[in-house]
Amino acid sequence: MKKNKGMIIGFLAPAVLIFLAVFLYPIVRTVIMSFFKISSVTDSVDLWKFVGIENYQKLFATDIFRTSMMNIGKIWLLGGIIVMTVSLLFAVILTSGIRGKKIFRAIIYLPNIVSAVALATMWLQYVYSPKFGLLKNVLDKLGLHELAKTQWTAPDHVFWALLFAYCFGMIGYHMLIWMSGIERISPDFYEAATLDGANKINQFRYMTLPLLKGVFKTNITMWSVSTAGFFVWSQLFSSVTANKATIVPVQYMYSQIFGAGNAVTERNAGYGAAIGIILCICVVLIFTICNALVKDDDLEF
Amino acid sequence: MVASLAACGGGGDKETSGGADSGKDGGKELVYWSMWSEEEPQAKVIQEAVDKYTEDTGVKVDVQFKGRNGQREGLQPALDAKQTIDLFDEDVNRVNGSWGSYLMDLEELAKDYEAEHGNETLFAIARNAAGGTLKSIPYQPSIFGFFYNQTLFDKAGIAAAPTTWEEFDAACAKLKEAGITPITGDTTYMTSFMGYHLGRYLGQDGVKALVNDPAIQEKIDAGEVEDVNWDDPRVAQAAKDIEDFAKKGYFSENIASNVYPAGQNQEFAPGEAAIIICGSWLPNEIKASVAEDLTWGYFNYPSVKDGTDDNTANNIANQVFAINKESKMAEEAMELITYITTGEFDKKMTEQSLSIPADKANSDAWPTELEAVKPGFEATATYYDWAVGAENNGDLTPVLNENTVKLMAGDMSADEFVKSCKSAAGE
Repeated sequence: MKKNKGMIIGFLAPAVLIFLAVFLYPIVRTVIMSFFKISSVTDSVDLWKFVGIENYQKLFATDIFRTSMMNIGKIWLLGGIIVMTVSLLFAVILTSGIRGKKIFRAIIYLPNIVSAVALATMWLQYVYSPKFGLLKNVLDKLGLHELAKTQWTAPDHVFWALLFAYCFGMIGYHMLIWMSGIERISPDFYEAATLDGANKINQFRYMTLPLLKGVFKTNITMWSVSTAGFFVWSQLFSSVTANKATIVPVQYMYSQIFGAGNAVTERNAGYGAAIGIILCICVVLIFTICNALVKDDDLEF
Repeated sequence: MVASLAACGGGGDKETSGGADSGKDGGKELVYWSMWSEEEPQAKVIQEAVDKYTEDTGVKVDVQFKGRNGQREGLQPALDAKQTIDLFDEDVNRVNGSWGSYLMDLEELAKDYEAEHGNETLFAIARNAAGGTLKSIPYQPSIFGFFYNQTLFDKAGIAAAPTTWEEFDAACAKLKEAGITPITGDTTYMTSFMGYHLGRYLGQDGVKALVNDPAIQEKIDAGEVEDVNWDDPRVAQAAKDIEDFAKKGYFSENIASNVYPAGQNQEFAPGEAAIIICGSWLPNEIKASVAEDLTWGYFNYPSVKDGTDDNTANNIANQVFAINKESKMAEEAMELITYITTGEFDKKMTEQSLSIPADKANSDAWPTELEAVKPGFEATATYYDWAVGAENNGDLTPVLNENTVKLMAGDMSADEFVKSCKSAAGE
């Protein structure tokens, strides 16, 4: 085939230019910004003040930023374990040929189509209410009166309250990804395994799980990306200013760029950019580790 | 969008026919970015005022109800991008502080306005926020303090609203005795509670120094402001006062889990708790759910023994209008501001949003719910910032808030409170 350079350039140019303008430019600009002190995110470059790596140094020396990283780490790890396990369990049950699969799938996925603001408000003002909350009523009915008195949204418990509420909403989404992976596996395999005498548990352990490695990687990736951008739930669980128990890096970044709460606080978009860069590095690290640990190209089916 | 483009086009065609001072030019359009959301009562009154203004003058107004977050995130980038925005509004300190460099000086333009309508207190606050000159027009003033349920006070036999911490203590004791929860509130406002209490002992600059507000460091270095730290005995005393109240069971048992608006909606409004700390926007926010027998009462944050400030020092804030210094229609903008903030529509605002009137001609148009606020408002001689400056260091606020809530819930002692705050402040 004869190569026509003009054609190649002509077809590639728009995509390359758009990529450079929409992706590369903001990334490069953010990296550069993180080395400056910038009071407003749209300040012209001549108002930027070069501070070297001071933003990063300050970040690592700031207690509340470390707390926010710890919180997001806990959400990623513990929330990840809960969501991955429960969603996989649901996916396996729903693909096992039970009746009413479509209805259950719709019910479990439902929280994803409700706005996070509405969901968080429901959890905060209704489920966790110590006066008339769903949890309080259920626990009272079960005779667990002491437990029913728990102040779920008080500083000591609010992180777990937040994590539970968030995971509740995320299970349906990851369940769908698992299900698509399981349905890709040919039923012939299971039939053969059944004939050979493998029970359901062994089928799951030795067939489904190994064949889901690729989907597992997809799920971890999606989970990490959505966790890195975690913001709305923390914001709603703390209303105007951030709470120590639920603060996450993006929330901290927001307060540093646009001001924290009702008070007029110091703003530094460069500092915010540095937070963004750190988060980005964390996500890239997770991808790399995940890719190294989970090899999904050793099986073909 | 199409309509606004068409309007702009029309303006372009007619540009030669009228200068900036001609109000009757049908093609002209003011652009106003508002801090309110469309469904809020304030926005409805503003929309009515705008319609009336357009009807009277022929100047069209493109009102964009951005809401608080929209304004905070979008206004400055839009101004930097030279987007046409003639006027905007937000909190007095944010407008004059964060956006100060975009504002037109209004000393000349608003001279007549101030003489005819200006409330002295509010104009003093606006000038103070802009470093001595007038760059914004105040409206929707509010005060932060204690609201109470007069019916419950009567039931407990409390004769007068407290003015000192001892009287406050005594009133709470009576309420407790009568089986009424004395104090509730939402965690959102608890840093303000603590800020006020520290402010009574230390004064506002003292609180700012204590929380390491970056904006006051220069004054501390220059020796103009005392450098207060967490070892200060007055700070310990302030924490002990709150601890004492907690021990006596004055705070609602849900004080630590009242995420806004649980405290105001579920405890104060139905009459379960007698006192709540909040701003004077409270009656408007809970008007749909207050108990039928609730009569509104209010008192300023009480004075403490040997304090720097007494109960005439308060956090009075307001929204302000400002005009973009790049605006080519400053006079029209000023006229629109006059429509919204004075006379008929100012009065309407007090009725619809149960707020304090801005126009001095309306000074007896206070809504009934806020009648009790008037003496405290008018007695105020020192003007505090939000939370008396306690939230000015964004890195410390989350810790200060959590600790205050724990102190009130009895989950933390006064000593632990001071120790934890001290460590978070890096001392």
